[in-house]
Amino acid sequence: MHSPILKVQNLHTWFETPTGTARAVDGVNFELYQGETLAIVGESGSGKSITALSLMQLVPEPAGYIEKGSIFYKNRDLLDLTWEEMRALRGKDIAMIFQEPMTSLNPVLTVEKQIVEAMQVHGTATGAEARKRAVDMLNKVGIRSPQQVVRQFPHELSGGMRQRVMIAIALSNNPQILLADEPTTALDVTVQAQILDLLASLQKELGMSMLLITHDLGIVARVAQRCCVMYAGQIVEEAPTSELLKNPQHPYTRGLLASLPSRARRGQELYTLEGVVPPPTRWPKGCRFALRCPNRMDICKNVLPGETALSPQRRVSCHLYNSDSAEAAVPLENPS
Amino acid sequence: MNQQNIPLLSVRSITKRFPVRTGLLGKRIWKTAVNEVSFSIEQGSTLAVVGESGSGKSTLALMALDLLAPTAGDILYQNRPFSDRSREERRRLRRDMQVVFQDPYASLNGRMNVREALTEGMIIHRLADSPAEREERALQLLRQVSMPPESLDRYPHEFSGGQRQRIAIARALSVNPSFVVLDEPTSALDVSVQSQVLNLLRRLQKENNLTYLFISHNLEVVSYLADNVAVMENGSIVEMGSVDDIFDRPQKEYTKKLLQAIPAIDLLRGHNEEA
Ligand SMILES: Nc1ncnc2c1ncn2[C@@H]1O[C@H](COP(=O)(O)OP(=O)(O)O)[C@@H](O)[C@H]1O
Ligand SMILES: Nc1ncnc2c1ncn2[C@@H]1O[C@H](COP(=O)(O)OP(=O)(O)O)[C@@H](O)[C@H]1O
Ligand SMILES: [Mg+2]
Ligand SMILES: [Mg+2]
Repeated sequence: MHSPILKVQNLHTWFETPTGTARAVDGVNFELYQGETLAIVGESGSGKSITALSLMQLVPEPAGYIEKGSIFYKNRDLLDLTWEEMRALRGKDIAMIFQEPMTSLNPVLTVEKQIVEAMQVHGTATGAEARKRAVDMLNKVGIRSPQQVVRQFPHELSGGMRQRVMIAIALSNNPQILLADEPTTALDVTVQAQILDLLASLQKELGMSMLLITHDLGIVARVAQRCCVMYAGQIVEEAPTSELLKNPQHPYTRGLLASLPSRARRGQELYTLEGVVPPPTRWPKGCRFALRCPNRMDICKNVLPGETALSPQRRVSCHLYNSDSAEAAVPLENPS
Repeated sequence: MNQQNIPLLSVRSITKRFPVRTGLLGKRIWKTAVNEVSFSIEQGSTLAVVGESGSGKSTLALMALDLLAPTAGDILYQNRPFSDRSREERRRLRRDMQVVFQDPYASLNGRMNVREALTEGMIIHRLADSPAEREERALQLLRQVSMPPESLDRYPHEFSGGQRQRIAIARALSVNPSFVVLDEPTSALDVSVQSQVLNLLRRLQKENNLTYLFISHNLEVVSYLADNVAVMENGSIVEMGSVDDIFDRPQKEYTKKLLQAIPAIDLLRGHNEEA
């Protein structure tokens, strides 16, 4: 594959809370390659959104802060940039879309004004040229009557249309990287499919890289070439999507896939992961999944597993795969 | 399970129109939320209603529960129309028909602890005579939904979303219903919790011969849990059939569109799964 456009190393983003330090993102590593869609999948609270906000340096302050790590983009560590430099980059090189468009759309401005402003801020286009480009962008995101929609306000649009407008704004400066945080979670299934297909085709057309954050493995299967599985503030497994789904390695990933309902599983008891994710203020000393893990060994309770490379494209953080600590031979049986 | 083929609920051409006021003249116009819908559900079976938001699923459910009167049409419960029944009879039927919502807060009162939530219905419907009997029954319900007995003294906000949903299910079951409407019961839950709730619903249905009207937009969940599926679009049922009919032989464009929207996960997983 090509070189990474974004390289996240040892990222830690913490929050000071009344009950202690919440280590929401706690040692995250991944690389995003030019022109690919990489998914980060995980259940609620695993740290996906905070990871994305960290990349944009939009972690809610003052409670939240990036404790340590690096975010390399074009050979520079974004964490070394000044606030001004970062502001110039945000929305231009790296853009972001959210689950709820209303949180990022301005309710009192027309669609046109919002797209035009996004371009003006970064000097991409101004005046009549920007207004023309706004219409073009709406066309691009599949809005059929862009001339009419530019004059509308967000509340006059359906959820799917608002999401398209937000994508148009995000893409108006031709970003290198799009961070999409649960972009279709609030939408009906057919609209969801349309938006995902739209994102996939725009990503190809514009050659940008997309980091897609979702809790839905079905969405990962639909659009992402590679996938990172996040659990308790860390990435526990990374693999090409098709390999991950066919042959999951981490017991958490196996459990997640086995717990999905489907027609093939009618009449069968679904697999369940016992217990709950511990609170981020009190991560266990060893493996964070140990208490819920069907393959737990003695070492798991006390030692946090490091990353094991299974192939150039696959890694897993689990003692089962660490030759120094594994008692059991791999591969495991799938839970059923 | 020996009572198959007897419809518990039959809905005959029901319509619901709501008055909505729009326009400069404030003229009253009517919104048809449910349009001449008919179906029946056999005792012990599950009918899923799928469709996009605003298609009329919840309105249909409220009418099936006798909580909302249809503008036209009849609903027969145990072969008798609601409209033929006395007020007292209908009040008693409230016990027999329960509902679990997507957001457990909608079925649970935040100021009631779990003991009160689980025993309130027993008191109203005189299902248990003494406090000791009620306590016994509440503990049994907690066991059924795999919650620890200490939960009785705790309040909804002290639980996770999945635990709250299990408590909401226990509350619905506290009055021994025959018919339960499940309105998107797992939509707000993480997949690992969703599987616990789905297993629970399936087990409880078997143990108690429950009849479910299951509203969902998640076709994977529907294909796992339901016997029959009704596809709703703009207030009408456009297609209805067994899970196999709908998933293997969809007739209507809209149904095909819904099915195409299902994530491709099974395809990618391929032979890993013995069908
Ligand atoms: N503003 C905040 N204050 C304190 N803790 C927070 C805040 N925002 C997020 N967190 C913590 O960070 C963790 C990860 O959150 P998030 O990244 O939003 O999860 P998700 O994977 O669902 O997107 C949460 O468990 C939460 O405890
Ligand atoms: N009480 C009401 N007054 C006016 N319109 C209503 C009312 N309840 C529902 N509707 C309308 O009826 C339609 C169907 O709504 P609903 O049954 O809630 O759909 P669903 O559950 O499929 O999302 C929607 O257009 C909704 O706005
Ligand atoms: Mg999130
Ligand atoms: Mg509804």
